[in-house]
Amino acid sequence: MIVALAIVLLAVGGAGYLVRLLQGPTLADRIVALDGLLTILVTAVIAWGAYTDRGTYLTVGVVVALVAFLGTSAFARFVEGGR
Amino acid sequence: MNEIVGGVLILGGAAFAAIAGMGQVRFGDLFTRMHVATKPSTLGLLLVAVGAMFRISGPGAVSLLALTIGMQFLTAPVSAHLVGRAAHRHGDWDRAAAVHDDLSDVDEL
Repeated sequence: MIVALAIVLLAVGGAGYLVRLLQGPTLADRIVALDGLLTILVTAVIAWGAYTDRGTYLTVGVVVALVAFLGTSAFARFVEGGR
Repeated sequence: MNEIVGGVLILGGAAFAAIAGMGQVRFGDLFTRMHVATKPSTLGLLLVAVGAMFRISGPGAVSLLALTIGMQFLTAPVSAHLVGRAAHRHGDWDRAAAVHDDLSDVDEL
């Protein structure tokens, strides 16, 4: 019950990031919003695992955290006009 | 008992994540939004993962959660630093609104 409330709160936070991702004026705003949205996703996967009392999906959290880091750093190089 | 402690921790972490999402909408500048995106989200992830350690039973759950926490705490500052540096160099921020800019003579646009 208390974890279901937590998942609703996570949805609220994700909606805020989604608004910023859609309307952010610059590309850097969108990158920050996407990174935060993926952090919320990892948090939600863990909360879902606690809600169902199954550890099956916890691997997804590790993988998404890694891929989010790779994507954010690649986008940052892109914004910088990277070599 | 474990269920209650874990539930309270998960609820607190989710509240931090919700505050981070609301700050994304309310804050008006790129660097303040980066500040509110990096710190409360990471703290929320830490609290939710520690709370989930109390609730998820099964082999490997605690070590996977610890791995997620370590990954996030290692990568979040690095990616925030990269995005901040790139945005500053590219000029994707309100230069006129800054009170002080230590990098103004370093970064050539």
